[in-house]
Amino acid sequence: MISMALSLPRTQATDLPGRAVTMDEAAFNNLYHRTARPLRAYLLRSCGDLTLADDLLQEAYLRMLRSGFEGEDDDHRKNYLYRIATNLLRDHFRRAKPESNQVPERDDSTGHDEAVHLRSDVGGAMSELAPRDRQMLWLAYVEGASHQEIAKALGLRTASIRSMLFRARQRLAKQLQARDLRPQLEVS
Amino acid sequence: MSSHSQPCPYEEAVAAAVRSGDWSPELSTHRDGCLTCAELTLVVAALAADAEELNAIETPLPDPAPIWLRARLASRERDYHRATRAITWVQRAAVAVVFGIGVAFAPGLWEFVGGAFSNLSGSISAPDLPRAAGSPLLVLVVSILVLGGLALWELTAAQEN
Repeated sequence: MISMALSLPRTQATDLPGRAVTMDEAAFNNLYHRTARPLRAYLLRSCGDLTLADDLLQEAYLRMLRSGFEGEDDDHRKNYLYRIATNLLRDHFRRAKPESNQVPERDDSTGHDEAVHLRSDVGGAMSELAPRDRQMLWLAYVEGASHQEIAKALGLRTASIRSMLFRARQRLAKQLQARDLRPQLEVS
Repeated sequence: MSSHSQPCPYEEAVAAAVRSGDWSPELSTHRDGCLTCAELTLVVAALAADAEELNAIETPLPDPAPIWLRARLASRERDYHRATRAITWVQRAAVAVVFGIGVAFAPGLWEFVGGAFSNLSGSISAPDLPRAAGSPLLVLVVSILVLGGLALWELTAAQEN
C-alpha cells in the first residue's frame, strides 16, 4: 500500500467566533513542525537543491509571518505557504540560468534503499519536466490539492489545470517508463 | 505505453485507490484495461514513493527560531516607521502652522518688527538694550522663526533618513 506523504492534522483554529488567531511563537513553531518537512520535499523536488530548498523554505515562512496572515485553519495556512513557496520557486527559475533548472539525478543527502521500489529515479524523471509541470504534479498527486488550489498556487486558470495536468502526467509517465519504472501495487 | 491516452472518468477513483491501496476488483480490472489509468497509477505511485523518501531525509530542518526572530525584527521596523511617520506629520503640521501665522500676521508684524528694530538702532543707549531686545513681540517673532526653522530642519532630516 502506498500512503500519502502529507496529511496535516487539523488544529483548533479559533478560540472565539470571528476572532483571528494570534500567531505567537509557540503557534508558529507548531505550524512549522507540522508543515516544514513536506514543504521542503516539494521545494526540493521542484528545485533539486537541498540548500536552496532550505533557503526558500525559511523565506516562505518569513514571508507568511511578515504578511500577518493567520488563516482559518491548518489547511488554509498550508495552502498559503505552498503559494508563497511556488512564487519563490518561480522567482528563482526566472533569475536562474536555463541549465540550472535541472534537478540532480540523485540526491546524495538521502539514504537510498535499493529494496524499495520507485525510489530516487523519480527525481531524474521529474528533472526532465518543466518546473511548472513538476509543481503541478506534486501539488495534485502528493499534496492532494484541488484544481482550484493548484491554479491559485501557480497563477493559472482553473479551467486549464485538468488538461495541463493530463499532459504533464503523460510526460512524467513517459520518463518513468524510459527508466523502466513500474508501480508495485497491493491489490486488496 | 504510448501517449495516446485520453482523460478518463475513473481518474479520481484510481488516484484515491493508489493512495489508499484499496482497489476494488472492478477498478482494478478497469485500470488494467485503461491506458490513462495505468499511466495515472504509475505517476501517483512514483510520486508517493518519492515524497516518502524526501520526507525521510535525515538532514535536520532549518531552525525556526531565527525565522521567528527575523519576522519580529521586521515587525518592529515596521512599527518604528509607523511611529516616525506620525511624528513627521506633526512636524509638517507645525511648519504649516508657523507659516500660516507668519502669512496672517505678516503686515502687522512687519510694522512691529520694524519698530522694534528702530528702537534697537544706534540711538539706544547700552543700558536700554536688554529691555528693547526683550520686547515680548520680538521674543515671539524670534521664537516662531527659531522653532519653525527647527521643525523644518527636523522634517528634512527625517525625510533624508
